[in-house]
Formats: sequence, C-alpha cells, structure tokens
Amino acid sequence: MKILVSCAVLPDLEALASEDWHADEQKQINTAFAPLDWNACDESALELSLRLSAQDGKEPVERCAMTIGPKNRERFLKTLAALRFDRLIRIDDDGADLRFAPQAVAQIIAETAREEQADVILTGRQNPIGENAMTPLLVAELLHIPCLTQVMQMEWLDEKEIRVVCRVDGGLRTYCVKTPCVLSVGDVPGTYLRVPTLKDKMKYGKLPIAQKTIHDFPQAVHCLEEAACQLEDLRPVIQEREGKRIPGETMEEMVHNLMETVLKGRLIQE
Amino acid sequence: MAMISREKIVEGLVEILGTENVITDEQVLKDSSIDRYRKYEQCMGVYTQPIPAAVIYVHSTEEVAEVLSFCNDNQINVVPRTGHSAIEGGLETSLQDSVVIDGSQMNKVLKVDRYNMQVTCQCGVPLQELDDMLREQGLTTGHSPQSKPLAQMGGLVATRSIGQFSTLYGGIEDMVVGLEAVFPNGKICRIKNVPRRAAGPDIRNIIIGNEGALCFITEVTVKLFKWQPENNHYIGYALDDMKLGFDCLREVMAEGYKPSFARLYDPADAAGHFSHFLEEGKCILIWMCEGPAGITKAMEAGIKELMSKHPELEEVDPTLIEKWYEGLNWGPEQIAQEREEIIATKNIGITTEVSGSWDNIYEIYKTACDRIMEEVPDMTLMGGHSSHSYINGTNMYFVYYYNVVDCEPEEEINKYHNPINRIICEQVIKYGGSIVHHHGLGKARAHYVYDEYGSSFYMLDTLKKAFDPNGIMNMGTLIPLRK
Repeated sequence: MKILVSCAVLPDLEALASEDWHADEQKQINTAFAPLDWNACDESALELSLRLSAQDGKEPVERCAMTIGPKNRERFLKTLAALRFDRLIRIDDDGADLRFAPQAVAQIIAETAREEQADVILTGRQNPIGENAMTPLLVAELLHIPCLTQVMQMEWLDEKEIRVVCRVDGGLRTYCVKTPCVLSVGDVPGTYLRVPTLKDKMKYGKLPIAQKTIHDFPQAVHCLEEAACQLEDLRPVIQEREGKRIPGETMEEMVHNLMETVLKGRLIQE
Repeated sequence: MAMISREKIVEGLVEILGTENVITDEQVLKDSSIDRYRKYEQCMGVYTQPIPAAVIYVHSTEEVAEVLSFCNDNQINVVPRTGHSAIEGGLETSLQDSVVIDGSQMNKVLKVDRYNMQVTCQCGVPLQELDDMLREQGLTTGHSPQSKPLAQMGGLVATRSIGQFSTLYGGIEDMVVGLEAVFPNGKICRIKNVPRRAAGPDIRNIIIGNEGALCFITEVTVKLFKWQPENNHYIGYALDDMKLGFDCLREVMAEGYKPSFARLYDPADAAGHFSHFLEEGKCILIWMCEGPAGITKAMEAGIKELMSKHPELEEVDPTLIEKWYEGLNWGPEQIAQEREEIIATKNIGITTEVSGSWDNIYEIYKTACDRIMEEVPDMTLMGGHSSHSYINGTNMYFVYYYNVVDCEPEEEINKYHNPINRIICEQVIKYGGSIVHHHGLGKARAHYVYDEYGSSFYMLDTLKKAFDPNGIMNMGTLIPLRK
C-alpha cells in the first residue's frame, strides 16, 4: 500500500498586521513577514496518514509526501523524514501564482500520484489562500477514481479496501472504499502533527528530497496559461466587531431594550 | 499545619470578606493549587498538589491585613497571587488547607503623575491595560515581559520580573519607585515615592522579588517614560555560531550602547521564530534602538559600525525583525492553543532562564544543552536565546520541548522537567552564574537556593524568620520545605 500526502506549507496569515493586507500591482499580498506553518487541513492529513500506518498487523505502508513551493519548504519535509516518511518530493513553483489555480495544482498532484502509483491520495480540503476546496475533487476526476470529502478517520480493511469516516451534515458517515481513491481531509480536531525527537531527526532526517519544478508538469503550466478566469481585484474583508452595553435595571428591561435598540432595527433592515 | 479545620478556615474568611469573595468551587481550587510549572498535569486534568481550602478575593489593603492576621493567628499557609501567570511553581499550594489570596480585583490605577513621570496603581492592575492606557497619552512603563497580556503589577514586582526592553529600561527593580505591602502580622508598610535616597539599605528590595514569601504587595508606583515608537530602529544579523554572537552582544554593551532589546537566538530556537527568512542552522542577532530620534539613529549607526568589523555577519532586512517583534507576546488564545496541542501530541515546551558573566555564559549554554541531549530521553527541541544583556554579562533562556512517552501525567515532571532543570542549575552553579534570571525561584528551583546564595543565604533566611516567624507566607517558595 502506498499513501501519497499532498501538503502545503503556508505563511501564517493570522500573524499579518492589518496594515499588511494590501495588494501590490501584481495583486500579491506581501507575506514575507509571516512565519511558515503547515496548512491546517494538510497537517491533519499528514497525522491521519501516520495513524493509518501505525495500525498493527495490517498491510505494510509506504508513505510519500509532496509539496509545491520554494526551497525553504524543505525544512518541513525533513520533519516528515524524521517521522519515517519513505519518500519526499518538492515541486518548485518557480514563482508561478497558484493561489487561485486549483486545476493546475490538481494536475501536478494527479501526475505525481500516477508516477508514484499511489493507492491512497490524501490532501487537505483547502488552504486559506484561495479557499476553493476544489483541488481534491479535481484530482479524483483527473484520475477517474472516487473521492471522499470531510474525512475524519481511516482504517485499513485489506490490501485494496479502506474504511473511512466522514463528517456529513448532522453527523458522521462510514464508508468502505476500494483503492485507489482520493481522501479530502478538513481541519480534524486533535490531529496536530506529532513531533519527532531530535535523535530521529538526526537518524532519519537526511532522506533525500526528490526535486521537480512546475515545468515538469506541462499540463499544469497549460492550465495556468489558459486559465478561464483572471484575478481582477483583491480586497480585505472588514471584520470589525463592536461591543454595546444594553441599559436596564432588570433582565426584562434589558431584553426589552435589546429588542428595541438593536434587534428590531436589524430585522427591519433585512 | 493549620491550627483550625478547613471548615473553620472558610468560616473565618467569610466573616471577613463575605461569601461572595470566598471561593470553594472544586475546579477553581484545583486550578489554584498549581501554576504553569505543572502545565502538563493541568492539561491532562491531574492535580497532585494539596487542594487549597479557599481562593479569596481582596479589595483593599485593610482587607489584606485582616486576612493575613487571621491566617497568621491560625498558622494557615497563604499563597498571594494576582495574574496567575507564574511558571516556576511559586503559586503551588504545597501545604494542606492553604488559602490563595487573589489581588486581581484591586485593579485601580490610582494616579498618573505626568509631571513627576510616575504612575501608582493597585496590585491587580493588568500591565497590558496599564501600558495601553499610558501609550494613548504618549507614555509607557517600559516594562514588557512576554506575559504582559496576563500579568498584573503585584505579581510582576513579587517575582522580580523583567521585560523585553530591559537593556534600556532595566528590570522591574529599576522601575519601582515606591510600594505598599502587608506583612503576615497585618502590619501595613508604605515606602514613599522619591527619586533616590541614601537613608540606609534600599528596603524596596525586601519586597521586590519576595515571591509572596514575606509579604503581600498591595500598591506599586513605577516610573514612566515617553513612548516614541516612531523613532524605533531595528537591526538584525544572521550568523553561524553562538560564541561569536555572545561576543557581539558584549561589544555593543561594553561600548556603552543602550538598545532596548538585544537578543541572540541559537539555531534550534531561531527555527521556531524566523524560519520564514533565516537559513536553516543559522543563529540570529537582533537589536532595537528606542528613544528620542537623534539617539536611536546614532545608536543604529554605532551598532552597525561595530558589527561591520565582523565579516561573518549577514545583515537581515530590519522590517522582518520589526514584524516578528509585533507578534511576540503570549495571551490567553496562545495558551488555549498550546493546551490543545499538548493534549493531542503529548509534546510539551518549557523554558528555564539563567544568567552568567561574559566569560562563562557560552560554557553554561553549551554544556547544559549537551548534557540534556545526552541524559534526557525523548527531546524534540533543545536550544535557547539570550534576551537581556548588561555591561558585565547576559542571560540565557533555555527553550526545550520533549515528547511525554510511556509515563503517567503525574510522573512527567520527575521524568523530564525536573531532571532538565537540575542539569541547567548544576551547570550554572559550576560555571558561576545565577540559576534564576527573571522567573523567580518559585518552588521548582527553591532546592538550589543554598548553592545559589552560598554564605549570603544567612541574610535570606534571617529575613524570612524575621518577617514571617510563623511560617505562613507561601511556604516552599524561595526556601524549600523541610520534609
């Protein structure tokens, strides 16, 4: 069994000050000041892949992780080496703008999955830049294999089948799915990526990282060149909050005032 | 140890303060039996320390005096606290039926004296609120510890805290002008606000750093400074080794510069803060020049000229340093997230801060790191930084993470945390530094007080016996309990 996890390392956007949220002429936000971290959904996917691998008495698992980004992402891949991933791949984006290009990203993941002969392709549902949640579905479409979304848990059943628990409206649903398949993972609670010891970093962290560039994926480049939609504008969403003290001596009075001074006005507006 | 029962303690306190100010809710009592020294136990919901009889809220100096008299008469151990942000076990209730006296509701700013450049406030004033309010008036306390969003004035003075801008403004001991404190017999003492005096020993320093083991601090007056962030200049360099870094820090101090912060991170610690721009395996040196425009500009030029003599240094874009600095402090959100991560990964991060002279700080850093890596299992990060420099030396802030493996929550502290602390303290004592730079001894490092003080322990011991003859003030802090 081979698992391919596609994971992104991204700037921590919460670390950006409000004055940093302005787009330049190329419609880029300068995130050079923000520390890097795993995309939260991808971190969940990585941890779930390790839990799947740790199942006793089940099929031996080969773990492969891929990321798209510049060289400074390799530090994160080395952590995966220390966590006993068997193969690591970095695809240099060569400065390409992949923020709103899920088709291009899906092409890269799908081609890599084919080359690696992956049985299970695990990806985070989406990343906070772009937020389209399309990539895993597009990967499945390109590979003509099933895709389950909002995956919370996984368990091997046998060499060619896996049991998957997914979150659905109002509850959880369990599926048995044949491999190969794509599993899209949301931000699953309690799935922070485990931390390797320094001794494991020294022992296993030197695993070579396979290097590619976006130009090794001509269909992805084609997607970027022939994109059906162009980014026109970027604006920050104003998320200001306001506190208001509701006057009143008694609870009844306060509820009355709340209705009269706040809620009624909003209801009428809507 | 108390001479009366737990029920009688609560009854007596209710009589003084009223029911609403005497809290006996079980979870509050459990959370109040520890501080962040036992954060792993706390995350796992395991409490190993004696649960206090009550947590009480005081609202005036007179109430504090009355409560302390009651506890002194009945030999009830008390643990004074304000912001509950301590991290060295200083707030643990080590004795049965202790009373936690919480001063956080004594939270009035009493006087902002712009002309004499000093501010007086009660012990429970949160530093963040105070400084935010002052900054709106173009002023600052100059005190900015990482715990700023949590800590309150009484606790900051009691633990002899220090802020990130200490190289310019000094530690809290350099900022405190006057104080009011209550001793265990109920005696209220006020030390007046004057710029300096030579009328005998500086008795402020009996109170500053007493960690609640001598008295309860009720009021604090600290100095004010002009806040001029528009004049700040940031300087940063990447470099290969810590030895050169310490030498650079020393050069700047020895030449007489007073940047507000001066920092040196080793590669392991730097990776956690600067990996978005710093090459793997590199250390980083940082300074911030703060104050009037003419001074900061000249200071920046002076420091850069000094550093230009070291071709090994690579200059870093100062905006990267400025942006990093803006996100440095810890608040409740970070603590909540840390708790989630600890529970999920069983990986925990701790710090221990020490100091040394320029001629021994590198050996302290290197040998402690080497020994910990050799002797303690399951380490996931071992590193540190220097963040407070002086003319004659600097501090070392050890930062370490480990996975808790094959061990119950109540065993974690003895398997990992205490052995690491022991190694650090042993190396510091061996090379002649101080085992505590700014967190306080608490109960975690009280065992090393004899080695730390040497022959001067006589003075500390005499102070304790004189001011707290019945032994009711935060027993086990500063001086360990005799088992």
